[in-house]
Formats: sequence, C-alpha cells, structure tokens
Amino acid sequence: MAKPRFALSSSVSDSSPYGRLERVFREEAGRLTASLVRLLGDFDLAEDLVSDALVEALEHWPREGVPDRPASWLLTTAKRKGLDRFRREAKYREKLEILTAMPDAPRAEPDDRLRLIFTCCHPALAREAQIALTLRAVAGLTTEEIARAFLLPVETLAQRIVRAKRKIVTSGVPYRVPPAEELRPRLESVLAVIYLVFNEGYLATAGDVPLRRDLAQDAEWLAGLLARLLPDDPEPLGLLALIRLHLARWTARLDAAGQLVTLEEQDRSQWNQELISRSVELIERASRLGRVGPYQVEAAIAALHCEAPTWAATDWPQLLALYTLLASLDASPVVRLNRAIVLAHVAGPEAALREVDELERGLGRYYLLHATRAALLRQLGRAADAVRADERALALTNNPAERTMIEARLLHAQHRAVG
Amino acid sequence: MKFMVLLTRGEWQESGSQEERERVFGSIQEWWGKLSASGQIVEGHQLQHPQTATTVIIEGGQSLLVDRPLIEAKEAIGGYAILEAADLDAALAVVRTFPMPDGKAEVRAVVER
Repeated sequence: MAKPRFALSSSVSDSSPYGRLERVFREEAGRLTASLVRLLGDFDLAEDLVSDALVEALEHWPREGVPDRPASWLLTTAKRKGLDRFRREAKYREKLEILTAMPDAPRAEPDDRLRLIFTCCHPALAREAQIALTLRAVAGLTTEEIARAFLLPVETLAQRIVRAKRKIVTSGVPYRVPPAEELRPRLESVLAVIYLVFNEGYLATAGDVPLRRDLAQDAEWLAGLLARLLPDDPEPLGLLALIRLHLARWTARLDAAGQLVTLEEQDRSQWNQELISRSVELIERASRLGRVGPYQVEAAIAALHCEAPTWAATDWPQLLALYTLLASLDASPVVRLNRAIVLAHVAGPEAALREVDELERGLGRYYLLHATRAALLRQLGRAADAVRADERALALTNNPAERTMIEARLLHAQHRAVG
Repeated sequence: MKFMVLLTRGEWQESGSQEERERVFGSIQEWWGKLSASGQIVEGHQLQHPQTATTVIIEGGQSLLVDRPLIEAKEAIGGYAILEAADLDAALAVVRTFPMPDGKAEVRAVVER
C-alpha cells in the first residue's frame, strides 16, 4: 500500500481555497470507492484507483478550479488510471472488460456507499477493524491520518486495514446492504462505530489533547451521510442530532487554559443556538417516523440540556423520565449511572448514592462511577469518603482534562481540610 | 461458496449427564439430517474423542508422531461440517441454529480454485 498520500486534514478551514476541494473529495472519494469495490470486488484496487484519481485532482483542481461535475471527472480519471494499470498487467483481463464497459457518468442508482458502510461494519470484523476501515474507505481518511487520530503506529493501523480488507474479500462477507429482517441489528453496529469515532474525538482516551475536533467532525459527516442514505430510519437522525448537539457546545467545553469545563459551569452564551435548534428539528423529524430508539432518546436528553437557559433551570423530572426510557432500551450500567446522576437532582443525593453503589460491581473500573460517588458523598458532607472516591477515579482515567479536573477537586478538599 | 465449520466439544459433551448428551445428540441428528437433505450440509462428521487423536509433526523432511490432538482442552474439535451457502451471512445464519447448549463453531470459507 505504498501509495502517494495527500493531506485531507479537517483543520483546513472551509474558507480556504482547499475547503471546497476537501468537501468534494470527501463526498466523492467514498462514493467512488464504493462503486469501484462493487464493480471490481477488490478493495485494494478500488482504493488505489481512487487515490490515483484524487492525486491527479489535487494537481489540476487548485489551478483549473473544481470541475462542474467532479464525480464524473474523478470516475473518468479513475477509469483511465485503471485501464493504464491493467494494460500493464495482462493478468487482469477480466477486470479490464468490466472497466471498459463502465459508464463515464455515475449512474443514478442507490448510493453504493451504503453497501460500503455496512460491509466495513460487518459484525464478523472486530470493532477496531470496523472503525479503521470505515474511516479509510467511507470517510476517505488516509491510513496516516487514522493512525494519528488514534495515536497508533501507522504500521499497526495499516496492518489492521489490510487484514480487514483481506477478510472481507476472502471470508465471504457479502458486499450489500443487509435485507430488511437483518437491517436493525446490523445498523446498530454501524451507529456504534460512528458514535465511537465521535466519542474518541469528543473526549480522547489517549494522548495529551483532551478533545479532537477532527475525529468528531468525521463522525458528524458519517452520521449525516447515513441519515441521508437511510431517510426512513429514525436512529441515524437521532445519532446525527446527538452529535450536533454535542458539537454545539464544543467551544464552551474548554476554558482558556485548555481545561474541561463541566456542563454546569459552561458559559451557555457560547453555545451555538442555531445548531441546537436545527438538531431539535432533526429529533422531531425522527420522532415522526414513530420508532423510538436509544440514539433518539440520548439526543432528546442532550437537547433538554441545551435548551435549559441555566443549569438551575434544567428540567430534571423530564430528564429523569428520558433516562428511565433510555434504561429500558439500553440496559448498560453506564446508562443507569447517568440516570442516578439525574436522580440526585430529583430525589436527593442519598437516593442517588444508593443507586450508584449498586452499580459498583459492574462498573468498578469506570472512573466516572467513582467521580460521581465523590460528588454525591461531598453533598452528603462525607468529605473523607469523597476524597477516597476521587482518588480511585483519578487512578482510572488517562484523559488529561478529566485528570486535571479531579486533581483540582482533591487539592481543594486538601486545602479545606487544612483550614 | 463452501464453508468449513469446526465445532468444539461443549461443556454439555465433556461433563453433561448421559441423559443430557443423548437429548442434545438427538436434536443435532435431526438438525443435521434436515440440512443434509436440503444440500446445505455437503458433508461432515462427529469425531472420536480428542484423546484418541494423533498429531503428525513434519520438520526438515522428518516426521514425528505425537499422541495428542492439535488443539488442547477446552477448544478441542468434536466435529466438522462443510456447508454450501451464498455468503458468510448465510453460513453464519445456519451455524447459529446449531442445537448445542454451549460450545463454539469456527466458520471459514474454503479456498475454491
């Protein structure tokens, strides 16, 4: 896979001359890869041809401008690159015929990218392979960019992707959108992959940077794509709304010193109100489809926070009702922990602490459980127990901003104890 | 395409009661018979106990026999089948209905030339 690489970094702003290029690239690269994988049945070959076409575009477009029909331009170029290649390699005669017969303009048929997404997120692949392959093949990130985002050696990432592609091609994973009766469970794994990408960007578990906007934006783009491709399914809309509601609060989440600011202490005037109301519209659109699901409920929870003018004015009883609904859809202890946090506002810290203590067996290694216990214990005046809980929390997280936040609390408690 | 299915011996087979094993083998036989009749199982067999296995090790042109199975203990293979299925999803859908109370099944495509 020693192909020429080009930087498609999301840090390029939309206003730069490369902004439009980047959007077109991202939109078209996945689409083109998807079509070529379907036609050729060969991931590597498809990606190589797309890479070749994009490199050529990168040479021409900045000088000559983006062509009116970039998709056709790229397809024609990829086709020409493929033909050049196969003429050199006679053993690909069969594929030469397929390429020759390919139309010059993309056909107006269902977007191939949906197949590509479902194939990349096939449950026969390990989650980490699903993530890497989705970012590579669908979102058009380079192997280097993915490695950087997850702070892994490029070699590791490259091997992970090569192995995943080999498995898809040789193990009989079908290249298709799953039939209706399998769509639900399969969609869950696609949504989970996108949400994991977002979460890694939203709150990095590794490295020195607490937030990685690039990954978060890649996830937003993927969720938007999925919502466009599956307009009759409410959960992609729910995920998109959820991601956008988090992004709407992005700038308020870090202070000038780069430290995480809790929801309670965020400057709400910095929240992007337009993005919030557009996200709420997405939730409403999803709910009109009449099938509630966990991402829609999580989005509704995020919306309720975003619409509260102040922390104190948060509609806690409504929030508790949403968390109860969410817990009925998703039995994970993390959801129950979040519900307990809300319960503290409705029924007091003692009731919440009882719930949290019940969760300790399943979530004993989760830093937030201990950080939550610490906050509740402090409210109950049990300062020494609170410090112990915070210390356990500190031992369980590597996120620099989370660590700083707990360390500050511990320091504060120490000062109070001293005088 | 063709898929190889390797079945491990589950707990039910290692330490289940005589009665339980007979019951499970009964449902497996019925399942197997149906899929063989429909052509989904091309061939396959239950294997003798792993303790009866002989492993041949070939090294530098020399061969050596070892009186044990290739895979030890928990994941010892108890049987295999060759399935005919349209793709991996179809093969997995069949294997998921294998009527054993516990155990593992590896599904792998056969190289077809």
